[in-house]
Amino acid sequence: MASRGSNRSRLRWVFLLVTSLFIITLDLRGVSPLSSLRSGTQSVLAPVERLATRVFSPVSNFFSEVGNLGRSKERIDRLEAENQELKSQIIFNENTLTQLESLKGVLDLAGKARYKTVSARVISKGGIGTFSETIVLDRGSNSGIGRDMTVIAPGGLVGVVKSTTASSSIVLLMNDPSFRIGVRVAGKQDMGILLGQGDKSHSLQMLSATSVISVGDVLLSRGSSGDKPFVPGVPVGKVSYVENAVGQLTKEGRVNGFVDLNSLSVVSVVLAAVAGDPGDALVPQAPRPAPTVTVFVTPSPTSEVQGYGD
Amino acid sequence: MEISRLPRVLLIFLTLFLIQEALINQIDFLVAGFSLYLAFFMAWVIQDQRDSAVTTGFIAGLILDLSPTLEAPFGLWTFVLASMSFLLASNVRAALDAQLTPLVMLSATVLASTFALTLFLLVGAILGQEVGSASYVIRSIFGNALWSVLLSPLYVPVAVRLHKATLTARQQ
Repeated sequence: MASRGSNRSRLRWVFLLVTSLFIITLDLRGVSPLSSLRSGTQSVLAPVERLATRVFSPVSNFFSEVGNLGRSKERIDRLEAENQELKSQIIFNENTLTQLESLKGVLDLAGKARYKTVSARVISKGGIGTFSETIVLDRGSNSGIGRDMTVIAPGGLVGVVKSTTASSSIVLLMNDPSFRIGVRVAGKQDMGILLGQGDKSHSLQMLSATSVISVGDVLLSRGSSGDKPFVPGVPVGKVSYVENAVGQLTKEGRVNGFVDLNSLSVVSVVLAAVAGDPGDALVPQAPRPAPTVTVFVTPSPTSEVQGYGD
Repeated sequence: MEISRLPRVLLIFLTLFLIQEALINQIDFLVAGFSLYLAFFMAWVIQDQRDSAVTTGFIAGLILDLSPTLEAPFGLWTFVLASMSFLLASNVRAALDAQLTPLVMLSATVLASTFALTLFLLVGAILGQEVGSASYVIRSIFGNALWSVLLSPLYVPVAVRLHKATLTARQQ
Protein backbone atom coordinates (compact mmCIF):
# COMPACT_ATOMS: atom_id res chain seq x y z
CA MET A 1 0.00 0.00 0.00
CA ALA A 2 2.79 2.35 0.96
CA SER A 3 4.56 1.57 -2.26
CA ARG A 4 1.42 2.30 -4.28
CA GLY A 5 1.01 5.63 -2.46
CA SER A 6 4.67 6.39 -2.99
CA ASN A 7 4.45 5.64 -6.70
CA ARG A 8 1.34 7.76 -7.02
CA SER A 9 2.99 10.81 -5.44
CA ARG A 10 6.09 10.29 -7.55
CA LEU A 11 3.92 10.14 -10.64
CA ARG A 12 2.18 13.35 -9.58
CA TRP A 13 5.54 15.01 -9.00
CA VAL A 14 6.76 14.02 -12.46
CA PHE A 15 3.50 15.27 -13.97
CA LEU A 16 3.81 18.65 -12.20
CA LEU A 17 7.46 19.00 -13.20
CA VAL A 18 6.60 18.31 -16.83
CA THR A 19 3.77 20.85 -16.57
CA SER A 20 6.15 23.49 -15.21
CA LEU A 21 8.65 22.76 -18.01
CA PHE A 22 5.79 23.10 -20.47
CA ILE A 23 4.89 26.51 -18.98
CA ILE A 24 8.55 27.61 -19.22
CA THR A 25 8.66 26.56 -22.88
CA LEU A 26 5.45 28.45 -23.63
CA ASP A 27 6.82 31.58 -21.96
CA LEU A 28 10.16 31.37 -23.78
CA ARG A 29 8.24 31.05 -27.03
CA GLY A 30 6.43 34.29 -26.19
CA VAL A 31 2.91 33.05 -25.51
CA SER A 32 1.18 36.29 -24.60
CA PRO A 33 -1.31 35.11 -21.91
CA LEU A 34 1.60 34.20 -19.65
CA SER A 35 3.31 37.59 -19.94
CA SER A 36 0.00 39.37 -19.49
CA LEU A 37 -0.46 37.43 -16.25
CA ARG A 38 2.50 39.31 -14.78
CA SER A 39 1.29 42.70 -15.95
CA GLY A 40 -2.13 41.79 -14.54
CA THR A 41 -0.47 41.06 -11.22
CA GLN A 42 1.28 44.42 -11.39
CA SER A 43 -2.06 46.17 -11.91
CA VAL A 44 -3.39 44.48 -8.78
CA LEU A 45 -0.22 45.05 -6.75
CA ALA A 46 0.37 48.72 -7.61
CA PRO A 47 -2.42 50.18 -5.43
CA VAL A 48 -1.39 47.91 -2.54
CA GLU A 49 2.25 48.93 -2.91
CA ARG A 50 1.26 52.59 -3.07
CA LEU A 51 -0.80 52.22 0.07
CA ALA A 52 1.96 50.28 1.79
CA THR A 53 4.49 53.01 0.96
CA ARG A 54 2.17 55.65 2.39
CA VAL A 55 1.32 53.74 5.53
CA PHE A 56 4.40 51.68 6.19
CA SER A 57 7.12 54.33 5.93
CA PRO A 58 5.85 56.67 8.67
CA VAL A 59 4.71 53.78 10.88
CA SER A 60 8.11 52.08 10.74
CA ASN A 61 9.67 55.20 12.24
CA PHE A 62 7.53 54.81 15.34
CA PHE A 63 8.35 51.22 16.24
CA SER A 64 10.79 52.53 18.81
CA GLU A 65 8.03 54.57 20.47
CA VAL A 66 5.89 51.56 21.34
CA GLY A 67 7.71 51.05 24.65
CA ASN A 68 6.13 54.16 26.16
CA LEU A 69 2.56 52.86 26.07
CA GLY A 70 2.41 51.76 29.72
CA ARG A 71 2.60 55.23 31.29
CA SER A 72 -0.59 56.39 32.85
CA LYS A 73 -0.25 60.06 33.68
CA GLU A 74 -2.54 62.12 31.54
CA ARG A 75 -0.08 64.92 31.16
CA ILE A 76 2.70 62.63 30.05
CA ASP A 77 0.33 61.03 27.58
CA ARG A 78 -0.70 64.35 26.18
CA LEU A 79 2.87 65.58 25.93
CA GLU A 80 3.96 62.36 24.34
CA ALA A 81 1.14 62.58 21.86
CA GLU A 82 2.17 66.12 21.00
CA ASN A 83 5.76 65.06 20.85
CA GLN A 84 4.96 62.21 18.49
CA GLU A 85 2.88 64.47 16.34
CA LEU A 86 5.76 66.89 16.10
CA LYS A 87 8.16 64.06 15.39
CA SER A 88 5.94 62.71 12.67
CA GLN A 89 5.68 66.22 11.29
CA ILE A 90 9.47 66.53 11.28
CA ILE A 91 9.84 63.12 9.63
CA PHE A 92 7.18 64.04 7.11
CA ASN A 93 8.91 67.35 6.44
CA GLU A 94 12.28 65.65 6.10
CA ASN A 95 10.83 63.08 3.71
CA THR A 96 9.14 65.79 1.70
CA LEU A 97 12.27 67.91 1.69
CA THR A 98 14.38 64.98 0.50
CA GLN A 99 11.88 64.23 -2.24
CA LEU A 100 11.73 67.91 -3.17
CA GLU A 101 15.51 68.16 -3.41
CA SER A 102 15.59 65.00 -5.47
CA LEU A 103 12.87 66.33 -7.74
CA LYS A 104 14.64 69.67 -8.09
CA GLY A 105 17.89 67.92 -9.01
CA VAL A 106 16.30 65.72 -11.62
CA LEU A 107 14.36 68.63 -13.11
CA ASP A 108 17.59 70.65 -13.31
CA LEU A 109 19.21 67.80 -15.21
CA ALA A 110 16.21 67.36 -17.51
CA GLY A 111 15.95 71.11 -18.04
CA LYS A 112 19.61 71.43 -19.05
CA ALA A 113 19.20 68.79 -21.74
CA ARG A 114 15.65 69.88 -22.60
CA TYR A 115 14.25 66.44 -21.95
CA LYS A 116 10.50 66.15 -21.67
CA THR A 117 10.01 64.19 -18.47
CA VAL A 118 7.43 62.79 -16.10
CA SER A 119 8.40 62.50 -12.43
CA ALA A 120 7.33 59.50 -10.38
CA ARG A 121 7.78 58.14 -6.90
CA VAL A 122 9.40 54.78 -6.19
CA ILE A 123 6.80 52.60 -4.47
CA SER A 124 8.50 49.22 -4.39
CA LYS A 125 11.45 47.24 -5.62
CA GLY A 126 12.26 43.71 -6.77
CA GLY A 127 12.76 41.09 -4.11
CA ILE A 128 15.63 38.71 -3.50
CA GLY A 129 13.75 35.84 -5.13
CA THR A 130 13.71 37.58 -8.49
CA PHE A 131 17.49 38.06 -8.77
CA SER A 132 16.76 41.16 -10.81
CA GLU A 133 17.40 44.75 -9.83
CA THR A 134 14.13 46.57 -10.41
CA ILE A 135 11.98 49.33 -8.92
CA VAL A 136 8.28 50.04 -9.25
CA LEU A 137 7.06 53.59 -10.00
CA ASP A 138 3.67 55.04 -9.14
CA ARG A 139 3.08 56.36 -12.69
CA GLY A 140 2.25 54.33 -15.77
CA SER A 141 0.87 54.55 -19.28
CA ASN A 142 -1.80 57.03 -18.15
CA SER A 143 1.02 59.55 -17.60
CA GLY A 144 2.58 58.85 -20.97
CA ILE A 145 5.18 56.37 -19.75
CA GLY A 146 5.89 53.51 -22.11
CA ARG A 147 8.24 50.55 -22.40
CA ASP A 148 11.91 51.27 -23.19
CA MET A 149 12.04 54.83 -21.87
CA THR A 150 15.09 56.21 -20.08
CA VAL A 151 14.79 56.81 -16.33
CA ILE A 152 16.98 59.43 -14.66
CA ALA A 153 17.68 60.79 -11.18
CA PRO A 154 19.54 63.98 -10.11
CA GLY A 155 22.94 62.33 -10.66
CA GLY A 156 22.22 60.72 -14.01
CA LEU A 157 21.03 57.41 -15.38
CA VAL A 158 18.89 55.07 -13.26
CA GLY A 159 17.65 52.49 -15.75
CA VAL A 160 15.04 51.78 -18.36
CA VAL A 161 11.30 51.15 -18.21
CA LYS A 162 10.70 47.43 -18.60
CA SER A 163 6.91 47.28 -18.51
CA THR A 164 3.96 49.48 -17.66
CA THR A 165 0.38 49.25 -16.50
CA ALA A 166 -2.09 52.14 -16.47
CA SER A 167 -0.88 53.46 -13.12
CA SER A 168 2.53 51.90 -12.49
CA SER A 169 5.71 50.93 -14.27
CA ILE A 170 8.63 48.63 -13.61
CA VAL A 171 12.14 49.95 -14.18
CA LEU A 172 15.14 47.75 -14.82
CA LEU A 173 17.98 49.35 -12.87
CA MET A 174 21.38 49.85 -14.45
CA ASN A 175 23.02 47.41 -12.01
CA ASP A 176 20.83 44.51 -13.14
CA PRO A 177 22.94 41.69 -14.65
CA SER A 178 20.94 41.86 -17.89
CA PHE A 179 21.35 45.63 -18.30
CA ARG A 180 23.40 46.87 -21.29
CA ILE A 181 23.93 50.42 -22.51
CA GLY A 182 26.09 51.97 -25.18
CA VAL A 183 28.25 54.73 -23.70
CA ARG A 184 30.79 57.25 -24.90
CA VAL A 185 33.57 58.94 -23.02
CA ALA A 186 32.79 62.60 -22.39
CA GLY A 187 34.99 64.93 -24.43
CA LYS A 188 36.00 62.13 -26.80
CA GLN A 189 34.22 59.94 -29.28
CA ASP A 190 35.43 56.62 -27.83
CA MET A 191 32.55 54.21 -27.37
CA GLY A 192 31.93 51.21 -25.20
CA ILE A 193 29.29 49.04 -23.61
CA LEU A 194 28.41 49.23 -19.94
CA LEU A 195 27.13 46.03 -18.35
CA GLY A 196 25.28 45.71 -15.05
CA GLN A 197 26.82 43.30 -12.58
CA GLY A 198 24.38 43.34 -9.68
CA ASP A 199 26.90 45.36 -7.68
CA LYS A 200 27.47 49.05 -7.13
CA SER A 201 30.11 49.11 -9.85
CA HIS A 202 29.51 48.19 -13.48
CA SER A 203 31.65 46.57 -16.10
CA LEU A 204 32.85 48.56 -19.12
CA GLN A 205 34.01 47.14 -22.44
CA MET A 206 35.37 49.52 -25.05
CA LEU A 207 34.46 48.76 -28.65
CA SER A 208 37.56 49.87 -30.48
CA ALA A 209 41.07 48.52 -29.97
CA THR A 210 42.43 52.07 -30.18
CA SER A 211 40.12 53.49 -27.51
CA VAL A 212 41.87 54.87 -24.49
CA ILE A 213 40.19 55.22 -21.13
CA SER A 214 41.57 56.36 -17.86
CA VAL A 215 40.38 56.51 -14.28
CA GLY A 216 38.10 59.48 -13.74
CA ASP A 217 36.70 59.56 -17.27
CA VAL A 218 33.00 60.42 -17.31
CA LEU A 219 30.69 58.22 -19.39
CA LEU A 220 27.54 59.45 -21.10
CA SER A 221 24.78 57.48 -22.78
CA ARG A 222 25.22 57.24 -26.55
CA GLY A 223 21.53 57.23 -27.28
CA SER A 224 19.47 54.81 -29.31
CA SER A 225 17.59 55.11 -32.54
CA GLY A 226 14.38 57.00 -31.84
CA ASP A 227 15.68 57.71 -28.30
CA LYS A 228 14.49 54.28 -27.16
CA PRO A 229 15.59 52.80 -24.90
CA PHE A 230 18.19 55.49 -24.22
CA VAL A 231 18.27 59.21 -24.88
CA PRO A 232 21.76 60.60 -25.60
CA GLY A 233 23.92 62.56 -23.22
CA VAL A 234 22.74 61.24 -19.84
CA PRO A 235 25.62 60.92 -17.33
CA VAL A 236 26.09 57.23 -16.59
CA GLY A 237 29.13 56.98 -14.35
CA LYS A 238 32.82 57.53 -13.81
CA VAL A 239 35.61 55.07 -14.65
CA SER A 240 37.07 53.78 -11.39
CA TYR A 241 39.44 51.09 -12.65
CA VAL A 242 41.08 50.23 -15.95
CA GLU A 243 42.23 46.70 -16.63
CA ASN A 244 45.63 46.47 -18.26
CA ALA A 245 45.83 42.77 -19.08
CA VAL A 246 48.24 41.61 -21.76
CA GLY A 247 46.58 40.23 -24.89
CA GLN A 248 43.33 42.12 -24.48
CA LEU A 249 41.84 43.26 -27.76
CA THR A 250 39.95 46.19 -26.24
CA LYS A 251 40.20 48.05 -22.98
CA GLU A 252 38.00 46.94 -20.10
CA GLY A 253 37.29 48.56 -16.78
CA ARG A 254 34.95 49.20 -13.90
CA VAL A 255 32.58 52.13 -13.59
CA ASN A 256 30.89 53.67 -10.57
CA GLY A 257 27.42 55.02 -11.33
CA PHE A 258 26.52 58.60 -10.44
CA VAL A 259 23.25 57.57 -8.81
CA ASP A 260 22.89 55.65 -5.55
CA LEU A 261 20.37 53.05 -6.71
CA ASN A 262 19.59 51.93 -3.16
CA SER A 263 18.15 55.22 -2.01
CA LEU A 264 15.88 56.33 -4.81
CA SER A 265 12.70 58.12 -3.83
CA VAL A 266 11.81 60.27 -6.84
CA VAL A 267 12.93 59.70 -10.43
CA SER A 268 12.00 61.07 -13.84
CA VAL A 269 11.09 59.17 -16.95
CA VAL A 270 12.29 60.82 -20.15
CA LEU A 271 9.40 60.95 -22.59
CA ALA A 272 11.38 62.68 -25.34
CA ALA A 273 14.64 64.52 -25.95
CA VAL A 274 13.24 67.72 -27.44
CA ALA A 275 16.56 69.32 -28.35
CA GLY A 276 18.33 66.18 -29.54
CA ASP A 277 21.77 65.26 -28.25
CA PRO A 278 22.90 67.67 -25.50
CA GLY A 279 26.52 66.61 -26.08
CA ASP A 280 28.67 66.99 -22.97
CA ALA A 281 26.36 69.57 -21.38
CA LEU A 282 25.29 67.23 -18.60
CA VAL A 283 28.75 66.18 -17.47
CA PRO A 284 28.80 66.78 -13.71
CA GLN A 285 31.00 69.69 -12.79
CA ALA A 286 33.86 68.88 -10.48
CA PRO A 287 33.59 70.81 -7.22
CA ARG A 288 35.63 73.97 -7.43
CA PRO A 289 38.36 74.21 -4.82
CA ALA A 290 37.63 76.90 -2.25
CA PRO A 291 40.04 79.82 -2.57
CA THR A 292 42.67 79.71 0.12
CA VAL A 293 43.85 82.88 1.76
CA THR A 294 47.59 83.10 2.10
CA VAL A 295 48.92 85.58 4.61
CA PHE A 296 52.56 86.59 4.54
CA VAL A 297 53.86 87.91 7.80
CA THR A 298 57.09 89.88 7.76
CA PRO A 299 58.63 90.35 11.19
CA SER A 300 59.16 94.03 11.87
CA PRO A 301 62.73 94.93 12.86
CA THR A 302 63.10 95.79 16.55
CA SER A 303 65.59 98.36 17.85
CA GLU A 304 67.05 96.12 20.54
CA VAL A 305 67.07 92.44 21.25
CA GLN A 306 66.55 91.48 24.82
CA GLY A 307 68.43 88.47 26.08
CA TYR A 308 67.32 86.04 28.79
CA GLY A 309 69.89 87.37 31.13
CA ASP A 310 68.51 90.88 31.12
CA MET B 1 -3.78 17.06 -0.90
CA GLU B 2 -7.48 17.14 -0.20
CA ILE B 3 -9.53 19.44 -2.38
CA SER B 4 -11.05 21.14 0.68
CA ARG B 5 -7.56 22.19 1.83
CA LEU B 6 -6.60 23.73 -1.49
CA PRO B 7 -8.40 27.11 -1.18
CA ARG B 8 -6.94 27.70 2.27
CA VAL B 9 -3.40 26.93 1.10
CA LEU B 10 -3.92 29.12 -1.95
CA LEU B 11 -5.20 32.00 0.19
CA ILE B 12 -2.29 31.74 2.63
CA PHE B 13 0.34 31.78 -0.11
CA LEU B 14 -1.40 34.58 -2.02
CA THR B 15 -1.47 36.70 1.15
CA LEU B 16 2.18 35.91 1.76
CA PHE B 17 3.02 36.89 -1.81
CA LEU B 18 1.25 40.21 -1.31
CA ILE B 19 3.16 40.85 1.94
CA GLN B 20 6.44 39.99 0.24
CA GLU B 21 5.82 42.22 -2.77
CA ALA B 22 4.22 45.19 -1.02
CA LEU B 23 6.05 45.28 2.32
CA ILE B 24 9.14 43.10 2.62
CA ASN B 25 10.58 44.22 -0.71
CA GLN B 26 10.46 47.83 0.47
CA ILE B 27 12.71 47.20 3.44
CA ASP B 28 16.38 47.93 2.93
CA PHE B 29 18.05 44.98 4.58
CA LEU B 30 21.63 45.46 5.65
CA VAL B 31 22.94 42.53 3.58
CA ALA B 32 21.09 41.78 0.34
CA GLY B 33 17.41 41.00 1.02
CA PHE B 34 15.06 38.50 2.57
CA SER B 35 12.49 36.29 0.92
CA LEU B 36 9.86 35.64 3.56
CA TYR B 37 7.86 33.79 0.96
CA LEU B 38 10.62 31.28 0.32
CA ALA B 39 11.49 30.78 3.99
CA PHE B 40 7.83 30.37 4.94
CA PHE B 41 7.30 27.91 2.10
CA MET B 42 10.21 25.74 3.25
CA ALA B 43 8.99 25.81 6.86
CA TRP B 44 5.54 24.84 5.62
CA VAL B 45 6.43 22.11 3.20
CA ILE B 46 8.77 20.31 5.56
CA GLN B 47 5.75 19.53 7.72
CA ASP B 48 3.73 18.22 4.79
CA GLN B 49 3.17 14.71 3.54
CA ARG B 50 4.84 14.03 0.22
CA ASP B 51 1.59 14.02 -1.73
CA SER B 52 0.40 17.40 -0.58
CA ALA B 53 3.92 18.85 -0.47
CA VAL B 54 4.34 18.42 -4.21
CA THR B 55 1.00 20.10 -4.95
CA THR B 56 1.78 22.92 -2.50
CA GLY B 57 5.18 23.38 -4.17
CA PHE B 58 3.55 23.65 -7.57
CA ILE B 59 0.94 26.17 -6.39
CA ALA B 60 3.45 28.26 -4.40
CA GLY B 61 5.80 28.29 -7.39
CA LEU B 62 3.04 29.44 -9.73
CA ILE B 63 2.18 32.29 -7.37
CA LEU B 64 5.84 33.33 -7.07
CA ASP B 65 6.13 33.29 -10.86
CA LEU B 66 3.47 36.01 -10.96
CA SER B 67 5.95 38.51 -9.50
CA PRO B 68 6.00 41.41 -11.99
CA THR B 69 9.62 42.26 -11.24
CA LEU B 70 10.79 38.76 -12.16
CA GLU B 71 13.01 38.58 -15.23
CA ALA B 72 13.14 34.78 -15.37
CA PRO B 73 10.74 32.83 -17.60
CA PHE B 74 7.30 32.09 -16.21
CA GLY B 75 7.30 28.64 -14.66
CA LEU B 76 10.88 28.63 -13.41
CA TRP B 77 9.94 29.08 -9.76
CA THR B 78 7.17 26.50 -10.27
CA PHE B 79 9.77 24.02 -11.44
CA VAL B 80 12.18 24.85 -8.61
CA LEU B 81 9.61 24.78 -5.79
CA ALA B 82 7.93 21.61 -7.08
CA SER B 83 11.35 19.92 -7.13
CA MET B 84 12.30 21.28 -3.72
CA SER B 85 9.03 20.21 -2.13
CA PHE B 86 9.47 16.64 -3.32
CA LEU B 87 13.07 16.59 -2.16
CA LEU B 88 12.16 17.99 1.25
CA ALA B 89 9.08 15.87 1.84
CA SER B 90 10.55 12.60 0.66
CA ASN B 91 14.27 12.61 1.36
CA VAL B 92 14.99 15.24 4.01
CA ARG B 93 11.80 14.73 5.99
CA ALA B 94 12.29 10.96 6.01
CA ALA B 95 15.83 11.34 7.31
CA LEU B 96 14.73 13.58 10.19
CA ASP B 97 12.95 12.56 13.36
CA ALA B 98 9.19 12.26 13.30
CA GLN B 99 9.00 15.20 15.72
CA LEU B 100 10.61 18.26 14.22
CA THR B 101 12.57 20.23 16.79
CA PRO B 102 12.80 24.01 16.26
CA LEU B 103 16.54 23.79 15.61
CA VAL B 104 16.14 21.04 13.00
CA MET B 105 13.33 22.97 11.38
CA LEU B 106 15.36 26.18 11.31
CA SER B 107 18.39 24.45 9.78
CA ALA B 108 16.29 22.65 7.17
CA THR B 109 14.43 25.85 6.28
CA VAL B 110 17.57 27.93 5.84
CA LEU B 111 19.45 25.25 3.91
CA ALA B 112 16.45 24.54 1.70
CA SER B 113 15.96 28.28 0.93
CA THR B 114 19.61 28.59 0.04
CA PHE B 115 19.48 25.49 -2.13
CA ALA B 116 16.29 26.70 -3.85
CA LEU B 117 17.89 30.06 -4.73
CA THR B 118 20.96 28.28 -6.07
CA LEU B 119 18.81 25.90 -8.12
CA PHE B 120 16.80 28.84 -9.46
CA LEU B 121 20.00 30.57 -10.58
CA LEU B 122 21.44 27.40 -12.06
CA VAL B 123 18.37 26.50 -14.10
CA GLY B 124 17.96 30.18 -15.04
CA ALA B 125 21.56 30.27 -16.29
CA ILE B 126 20.94 27.11 -18.33
CA LEU B 127 17.91 28.82 -19.87
CA GLY B 128 20.06 31.82 -20.80
CA GLN B 129 19.32 34.22 -17.95
CA GLU B 130 21.94 36.75 -16.86
CA VAL B 131 23.20 35.76 -13.43
CA GLY B 132 25.45 38.65 -12.43
CA SER B 133 28.84 38.69 -10.79
CA ALA B 134 29.90 36.00 -8.32
CA SER B 135 30.03 38.52 -5.48
CA TYR B 136 26.45 39.60 -6.20
CA VAL B 137 25.20 36.03 -6.21
CA ILE B 138 27.08 35.09 -3.05
CA ARG B 139 25.93 38.25 -1.25
CA SER B 140 22.31 37.65 -2.26
CA ILE B 141 22.26 34.01 -1.17
CA PHE B 142 24.21 34.64 2.02
CA GLY B 143 22.05 37.66 2.89
CA ASN B 144 18.87 35.67 2.46
CA ALA B 145 20.26 32.85 4.61
CA LEU B 146 21.29 35.31 7.31
CA TRP B 147 17.88 36.97 7.48
CA SER B 148 16.14 33.59 7.32
CA VAL B 149 18.04 32.61 10.48
CA LEU B 150 17.54 35.91 12.29
CA LEU B 151 13.83 36.20 11.53
CA SER B 152 13.01 32.53 12.02
CA PRO B 153 11.44 33.10 15.49
CA LEU B 154 8.84 35.20 13.72
CA TYR B 155 7.86 33.15 10.69
CA VAL B 156 8.47 29.51 11.78
CA PRO B 157 5.81 29.48 14.56
CA VAL B 158 3.33 31.14 12.20
CA ALA B 159 4.07 28.55 9.52
CA VAL B 160 3.58 25.72 12.04
CA ARG B 161 0.28 27.12 13.32
CA LEU B 162 -1.14 27.93 9.92
CA HIS B 163 -0.12 24.54 8.59
CA LYS B 164 -1.87 22.86 11.48
CA ALA B 165 -4.93 25.01 10.94
CA THR B 166 -5.30 23.87 7.35
CA LEU B 167 -5.25 20.18 8.30
CA THR B 168 -8.42 18.25 8.98
CA ALA B 169 -8.90 16.67 12.42
CA ARG B 170 -8.03 13.25 11.00
CA GLN B 171 -4.83 14.53 9.41
CA GLN B 172 -3.76 16.22 12.65
